[in-house]
Amino acid sequence: MSIQSIFVISDDLAALNEICGGVKAMAEKVTAVVFGGRDTADKAASCGADKLLYCPVDDEGAPENYAAAIADEVKKTGGAAVLFNNSIRSRCLAGILGVLLDTCVLTSVNELTEQDGELVYRRMVYGGTAQRHERFAKPYGVATLSGGVFEPVTLPATGDIAPIEGAPAAGIKRIARAEKKEGGTNLVAAKRILDVGRGLAAKEDLEMIRALAKVIGAEVGCSRPVAENNKWLPKANYMGITGVQVKPDFIITLGVSGQVQHIGGINKSKVIISVNKDKAAPIFKNCDFGLVGDIYKIVPALIEKLS
Amino acid sequence: MKIIVCCKIVPNEEEIAVLGSRELDLSAASWKIGQYDLNALESGKQLAAATDGTMTALSVGGPAALDASKIRKDVLSRGPDDLKLVIDGSRGFNDSLQTAKALAGALKEIGDYDVVLCGMGSSDLYLQEVGIQTGALLGLPVLNSVTDIQPAGDGVLRVERTLEDEVEVLEVTLPAVLSVSSEINIPSVPAMREIMKAGRKPVELLGSPDGADASLTTLSELAPEQQDRRQHIIEGDGEEAVDALVQFLKKECL
Repeated sequence: MSIQSIFVISDDLAALNEICGGVKAMAEKVTAVVFGGRDTADKAASCGADKLLYCPVDDEGAPENYAAAIADEVKKTGGAAVLFNNSIRSRCLAGILGVLLDTCVLTSVNELTEQDGELVYRRMVYGGTAQRHERFAKPYGVATLSGGVFEPVTLPATGDIAPIEGAPAAGIKRIARAEKKEGGTNLVAAKRILDVGRGLAAKEDLEMIRALAKVIGAEVGCSRPVAENNKWLPKANYMGITGVQVKPDFIITLGVSGQVQHIGGINKSKVIISVNKDKAAPIFKNCDFGLVGDIYKIVPALIEKLS
Repeated sequence: MKIIVCCKIVPNEEEIAVLGSRELDLSAASWKIGQYDLNALESGKQLAAATDGTMTALSVGGPAALDASKIRKDVLSRGPDDLKLVIDGSRGFNDSLQTAKALAGALKEIGDYDVVLCGMGSSDLYLQEVGIQTGALLGLPVLNSVTDIQPAGDGVLRVERTLEDEVEVLEVTLPAVLSVSSEINIPSVPAMREIMKAGRKPVELLGSPDGADASLTTLSELAPEQQDRRQHIIEGDGEEAVDALVQFLKKECL
């Protein structure tokens, strides 16, 4: 038995491919919804969906304005799972859609499986202390899926492409939009990572960390306070339950205490190496190899010995 | 401007015990204000000061979380003029729609407000949807990931919203529900004077609206399987210790 109908809605085409490809075998019909004109739809055609709808969002508009139009489309099925990518916009749209379909939203789902004809969603709760498995008890379920839940696949393109029927609702007035300058690193794909914590005393000292990263060919990430409070690295670079969840071959944590939320972001690393001054830091319970010592002595020594 | 800040009282995740069966034991965990709701309280305080307005804190939850005067005072020491509570032990508030329906009911009862602020997500379930669903239930404009809020004339806020690769500046007609990002501010530590005043501020109980059906069935809740880490720890940052690390790196990683 499989699920009758799954909708996959994404404002990112790579994520659309991943999710559609991953759920194709679970559902009798997969309908993809994308945002943009016919050209965007054509680019998305080989995502693996049986049918593709596009919401013609222009520069003035926003995907969030299509909640009612999408809800009308979903309601035609009488029961369906609606899966989004986990972007900020998608989470906003998912919440509004959830109200229109009278259901809650499960976000940052990190595993999706089919059991006895129903979808089972897994996500972290209590800052990574536990994983919860849940299923929807109502006809409609709405969820956002974290990146990397499924491997991307290439599938034959669908010819069933159409614009969505409903019109966008008037949205919130946008005065300006600008590309974000700070950028960030794609840590999800990184094989080697240096993980900087609050043990780093000053922003300038990142130079020392970057020098080591260069020597061993690693990307630099950090814990939440380094990005959010100190703003020393872009927000996209912080790892944890509420940040990026990484799976490198190895990660070296430098001055990271190892709070449970942060561990939840790095514990899929094959090897964890940790340096911290505090012998009692929880990170030492979660590492393969640890040095209790000063990063300001150890990092320069490592650069010298590995260069 | 009349500001309402929603906050959730949650078990302190650092004090949750994991049993041998991987089940959780929350009995020893104390209650705290959700970490990300501290940002919403701070935003509310700043906006109230900037507009010469008022600020009400609003929380829904069970009696264990909301009955204690200590936690009420903690909320009230962070800027609100008063605190309104929906206390309902009959449901778990385990899904975003249930919580949103309780908040929307409370907001209808309160009636008069300009803006409702929420945090980025609760620090226990972290669904990040309660603010959006609350606003959607009330038919109000909603935004998430708000990183700046400025008054912009009568009944309008100018709001900055930071997305993954883009920053939007938006004009929001009030009333509206905004979820602020945790990067919007650094919550201030309450001053002694505020803590002293908190005990004298009014606390009002609101009615709990009719129970909303649960959207979810929880099948299991278990701590992740412990990754076996070798925990080979060396004390020291001298030559010998660094050499041991270099050897480990060369053997296993590089």
